[in-house]
Amino acid sequence: MAEEAKTAELRKIADQLRLDVVKMVHDAKDGHPGPALSIADIITTLYFKELNIDPRNPRWEDRDRFILSKGHACPVLYAALARRGYFPVEEYAGLRKLDCILQGHPCMKKTPGIDMTSGSLGNGLSIGVGMAIAAKYRKKAYYTYVMLGDGEIQEGIVWEAAMCAKKYQLNNLIAFVDHNGWQSGDSVDKVSGLLPILPKWEAFGWHCQSIDGHDFAQIVTAIANAKKANGPSVIVAKTIKGKGLAYMENDNSWHKRVPDGDQLAIAQQVLGGARQ
Amino acid sequence: MSKYKGTREAFTQALLEMAESDDRLLLVSPDSLKAMRATPFADRFPERYIEVGIAEQNAVAVAAGLASSGLVPFVATYAGFITMRACEQLRTFVAYPQLNVKFIGINGGIFGGEREGVTHQFFEDLGIVRSIPGITVVAPADEHQVFQAVKAIATIDGPVYLRAGSGREHVVYKEDAPFELGKVRVLKEYGSDAALFASGFVLNRAVEAAEILSSRGIKVTLADVHTLKPIDSETVTGILEKCGAAVTVEDHNIIGGLADAIAMVSTENCPVPVERVGLRDIFPGSGPAEEVLDYYGMSVNDIVNAVVKVMKKKK
Repeated sequence: MAEEAKTAELRKIADQLRLDVVKMVHDAKDGHPGPALSIADIITTLYFKELNIDPRNPRWEDRDRFILSKGHACPVLYAALARRGYFPVEEYAGLRKLDCILQGHPCMKKTPGIDMTSGSLGNGLSIGVGMAIAAKYRKKAYYTYVMLGDGEIQEGIVWEAAMCAKKYQLNNLIAFVDHNGWQSGDSVDKVSGLLPILPKWEAFGWHCQSIDGHDFAQIVTAIANAKKANGPSVIVAKTIKGKGLAYMENDNSWHKRVPDGDQLAIAQQVLGGARQ
Repeated sequence: MSKYKGTREAFTQALLEMAESDDRLLLVSPDSLKAMRATPFADRFPERYIEVGIAEQNAVAVAAGLASSGLVPFVATYAGFITMRACEQLRTFVAYPQLNVKFIGINGGIFGGEREGVTHQFFEDLGIVRSIPGITVVAPADEHQVFQAVKAIATIDGPVYLRAGSGREHVVYKEDAPFELGKVRVLKEYGSDAALFASGFVLNRAVEAAEILSSRGIKVTLADVHTLKPIDSETVTGILEKCGAAVTVEDHNIIGGLADAIAMVSTENCPVPVERVGLRDIFPGSGPAEEVLDYYGMSVNDIVNAVVKVMKKKK
């Protein structure tokens, strides 16, 4: 397949995941659509192109691992897992309800394909370090990917993990920072003294790249570069919170907000409702 | 002559012996190798010694990652830095997904902290961990029991918190005394005037108190409650029914530890008067270990008096 066609295919899948997110949150009447949509293109690239996984065998020992450290964005991960065949899309209806497999935040014991429980911010990278060390100790070739939010890297444990990954030269660990510039309360810049992000990782000795997190070619190239690095690699992906829906883009009120019927209809129109 | 210098050496020895035949066992250290007396493990198995630096939260979360990949990490450092600094990581990323991580917390109790003072006296650890679902909580009495207990906890698949000491523990058990995880062990059965439940490094004091009481004609049943969670409800209930009154003895805040565990069983199964010997919900001061225990109400005499007091409340 030509590159253009491959990108078009990924775009189509990403649109589907975005629509799934909006529908899930609408039906559940609860959830975080904005932070889910900002990572939809990276999640699509990982689950439909990069990750070495087997949906028929979710606990396959040699599989690549993925940790959604910013666990509140889980609807898009649930959508990717469902569309990849880990469980039927009918499970969407259970999101955030009792006795269902889709918890409010990811739970590795309840949802097939979730490699690690997450949602309490800041912790995913340390867990990824553990997985990557385990791969080296066990002489396994799998990669561990961690998706961090730009807000959550304000947590100190992230930098504890960064030091540790550098010490062990974990060239099988690839972290994304979803740099949409917003966190629950306000813009990342206003809430913290974090910016600029990349020099922090450089100072901790990581292989660093900065990309447009909605450009499939850049995401793919960055992952390929990361795999060639000598140590842990971070990809700071500039993204737009709520990407894909004009009414949601860069409006932080969509951090946690439920789309109404009209807004769902717009999403179906924009993102291709015919594929329901 | 004891086999070890203390509970920390006993831990390392048990881990070393098990690691010879089980390559899943790893040691995760937040700069605690020397404090744990675990250098022999690092020398023998350098690739299985994960040093993360002074970063307990990272240590526990890294262990979660290791365990999710089929390994069995032991995270070993000061009790409070596991249960307080890294409490959330322990709760959310180990206990909630039921990962097979073993926590060894040293310097448990005010006896452990000695002259270090409150920052290194950990008398809330058992209460904190007991309130987290799905984690086994163990407080052995001496080095021989720690050695056996470390081997016992490795046989179960799931998270465990084990309290170890500071090197000042008194030996109560014989070297080959077995340890049965989850079971209360009746140590002395002089009679049924009162039940004496003890846990951890003050067990020797409870033994001494039981002897003094016996010489005065007060006959107690003394039980070692080394597994605080899950509590051996059946044995505890049987002892309570037999004795009709109980005293708990622990080097821990009277809130959250052994006293609460026994009171819980009593309330649900056999309501009887319970007197609690332990740290009475205050921050203690620093000082020599034995003096600190005596000063804060955990002397042998305090235990004797508690038994006399509780017997007067018997119906």
